Amino acid sequence: MSETKAGGGSSRTTIFPGRTVHTLDPARPIASAVAVRDSRFLAVGDTDQLVATYGGTIDDTLADKVLLPGFVEAHSHRDTGGIWQFTYVGYEARRGPNGRLWPGCSTFDAVIERLREAERLLEDPDEPLLAWGLDPIFWPGDRLDRRHLDAVSTTRQIFVCHSNMHLATVNSALMEAEAINPDTAAAGVPKDGSGWPTGELQEFPAMALAGPAFRSFFGRQRSDDSVRLFGNAARNVGVTTLTDLGTSNLLDEAIVRQWTSLADDSSPLRVAMFHGALANAPDGDEACAAAMVDLKDRSTDRIRFGNVKLLLDGSIQGGTARLRWPGYHHGGPNGIWLIAPDQYAERLAPYHRAGLQVHTHANGDEAVDVLLDGLEQVQLAHPRPDHRHTVQHCQLTTPGQYRRMRALGMCANVFANHTWFWGDQHRDITVGPDRAARMNAARTALDLGVPLSIHSDSPVSPLGSLHVAWAAVNRLTPSGQVLGADERITVAEALHAITMGAAWQLRMEDEIGSITPQKFADCAVLEADPFEVDPAELRDVPVWGTMSGGVLHEGSPQTA
Amino acid sequence: MATKDMRLPLTVVGGYLGAGKTTLLNRLLADPDGQRIAVLVNDFGEIDIDGRLLDSATDDVLRLANGCICCTMADGFAETLDTVRGFANRIDRVVVEVSGVGQPHKVAQWGHSPGFSPDGTVVLVDPLSVRDRASDRYVGETILTQVSEADLVVISRTDVAGAAELEATEIWLSGVTDATVLRAPVPTGVLLGPLLRAVAGSGPSSSRGPGTGAATTPASRSDPTRVSDPEHVTISRRLAGPVTRTSIDTWTRARPSGVVRAKGLIRVNDRPDDRTVLQVCGSSSTVTVDGPWDGGDDAVVAIALPGTPRAALVKWLNLLG
Repeated sequence: MSETKAGGGSSRTTIFPGRTVHTLDPARPIASAVAVRDSRFLAVGDTDQLVATYGGTIDDTLADKVLLPGFVEAHSHRDTGGIWQFTYVGYEARRGPNGRLWPGCSTFDAVIERLREAERLLEDPDEPLLAWGLDPIFWPGDRLDRRHLDAVSTTRQIFVCHSNMHLATVNSALMEAEAINPDTAAAGVPKDGSGWPTGELQEFPAMALAGPAFRSFFGRQRSDDSVRLFGNAARNVGVTTLTDLGTSNLLDEAIVRQWTSLADDSSPLRVAMFHGALANAPDGDEACAAAMVDLKDRSTDRIRFGNVKLLLDGSIQGGTARLRWPGYHHGGPNGIWLIAPDQYAERLAPYHRAGLQVHTHANGDEAVDVLLDGLEQVQLAHPRPDHRHTVQHCQLTTPGQYRRMRALGMCANVFANHTWFWGDQHRDITVGPDRAARMNAARTALDLGVPLSIHSDSPVSPLGSLHVAWAAVNRLTPSGQVLGADERITVAEALHAITMGAAWQLRMEDEIGSITPQKFADCAVLEADPFEVDPAELRDVPVWGTMSGGVLHEGSPQTA
Repeated sequence: MATKDMRLPLTVVGGYLGAGKTTLLNRLLADPDGQRIAVLVNDFGEIDIDGRLLDSATDDVLRLANGCICCTMADGFAETLDTVRGFANRIDRVVVEVSGVGQPHKVAQWGHSPGFSPDGTVVLVDPLSVRDRASDRYVGETILTQVSEADLVVISRTDVAGAAELEATEIWLSGVTDATVLRAPVPTGVLLGPLLRAVAGSGPSSSRGPGTGAATTPASRSDPTRVSDPEHVTISRRLAGPVTRTSIDTWTRARPSGVVRAKGLIRVNDRPDDRTVLQVCGSSSTVTVDGPWDGGDDAVVAIALPGTPRAALVKWLNLLG
């Protein structure tokens, strides 16, 4: 069969027929096949016409699948993969990146049994048992402590990190080894009636007392395996472009090389990397910006540099986001600043002037005020068209703020999954029913013309763009309520947000986000048509896997 | 010497933007009063080290000819403390810079990490702006918490603020914090206090009444407990032996106003084989056990603001027994 009918050269052309191809490209929204050459879409159309025009070979693997552009997760972290190196003991069932279903542990006994199983699999008696996902909120009035964990082992060290990653519970063997005892004076080490620490270690200074187990837990999330697992997790849910929002120190040459070498053409990974400049600009922001400009030139097709992350406040569920009047519904103090409001413009300016893309974490509406004031100041001093600086999370952003974002040329990446994972708590506890109904206002953002994406912040909530889209379309909470029906968006809008919307914010809209000739041949390969299923079942659309740069990556077989 | 396996004292320095943290840290590095200080900063950008003083530099660590080092915390706090542990035999103490909106008293909890002991929370305030800032919509609460949780508050910019402003600031501070309040510049030896190993060898023998264990004033410049500023009041005492826990409690509660620093290496009679460390930093006192007793003197040293009556300090130290 002819290989060279168009475009010349000797590259192979492959035609992939599908059941339906939703290109999300308004110039040709529906097709039945795609032609791929040199890792890119050559053309879309139907099989006969594509073969007649371009020749090539036909690959029928996806003939009964529905193809969409590969999903783009615009806010995720590398530990999405790395965390699965440890035993999951969370309350809700989750599926790991290798396909294993981890049932939820709804009782202390279930947690202990899960840990016992994991303990039996460890061969080296000196290797600590590391686990994650524990959430004491589900057992009000009762607290897992060292004695529960001692039932798993009295000799092996056990370190169980809680789901919020700010607390851990350890067993007596670990306490013995690290001299955590009645003499331990650190705050965050609660003690029982006998004067002994309970085994709970609260916040990082206390968690670090766990020594090698603590270091292993956080250190192993930087391993090569963690990067590979990140790719596997993405492939399983149809995501072809991920982001690493400030989790990797890009001033470290070894880390840069790790990403660029692991993400080769056989990998399902394409990642927009964001340098966490908040805590990691050791020679100041000007020097950091210059380093990021140099690094940008070392971008590959699969690993993109030139992005910076800043953070202004904390989280709403943690009580650390900065809220406008009237503050928290529960009456707690207003949250914390991670950058001084007076300093935000000064920190943003060097990156802005250098032409870099800056995404700033702002959950609360007061933090968004500071962000908008700072950006306005920087734009007046150093006008830069089409900067696309993005507000990450936008959870309480008001219509007035969205109007300013539009006027300033900003993008919104809205934390849509929150409605499902914390919606009931927001309604009842953190912000009350009215503000909860207005949270994560994707409808308002779109109506006011702000470029929109929606995200999971994985591993804060599980990676899965269809789930994020479902959350934005339905705004359902676990108690079965619709939280803010008027902020719901349509399936088409949600699918745009997780493809082209995200691509735009990453400055990759000419390369990913739709099935359009010349773009990378990245597809989400689905078993059902998300435009045809009941929108209430959008998150249940089975994912076969992905096509990444024209290479097929079937998802992990799901195992119990 | 009771210095074996001594933990490194860790002091945190915070305060809002413009409060003078960088000035203070640069001063500590330039004039460390004979102490080898590891200063941990968020970035090197504002650190101003005289080229003649610089001994060597890597991406994360600057080494100075006077024995001090300066590290960035870019790799994270736990990792930076690991780095510092690697220098432990070459430094005497650690001072950590906290960002302008950070909470120093929370960062101070890292002082409980293995190899370290918490040694106070110092917060700087700018007398020209702190009262306004404290009611700022965005950062008011942050600043009030910094100040109210501090052990020592240092009022900076005393060279530009007028006497009335300084006094008004002091009055305002007395309403929002229990911290001991000092005016800059504060000599390094006062701000950080003496080193525990100096305490262990405390006082020249000539100044001690043999067997009496009474508190005394250091008599000689060679005394390791001396502080470089003679206006501050320094008193030391060698104890006759282990003391009761009750006397420590009494001593803690009876701290006279004006005490900036006190340090002790002592034994308690219910744990005579352990080394008990007393540390007073302004308004806070900690009593910790950091290892087995390994000989040396039971001794305690106190430093107070100029004008503090010596008699009150002597009486205070004599409560231990």
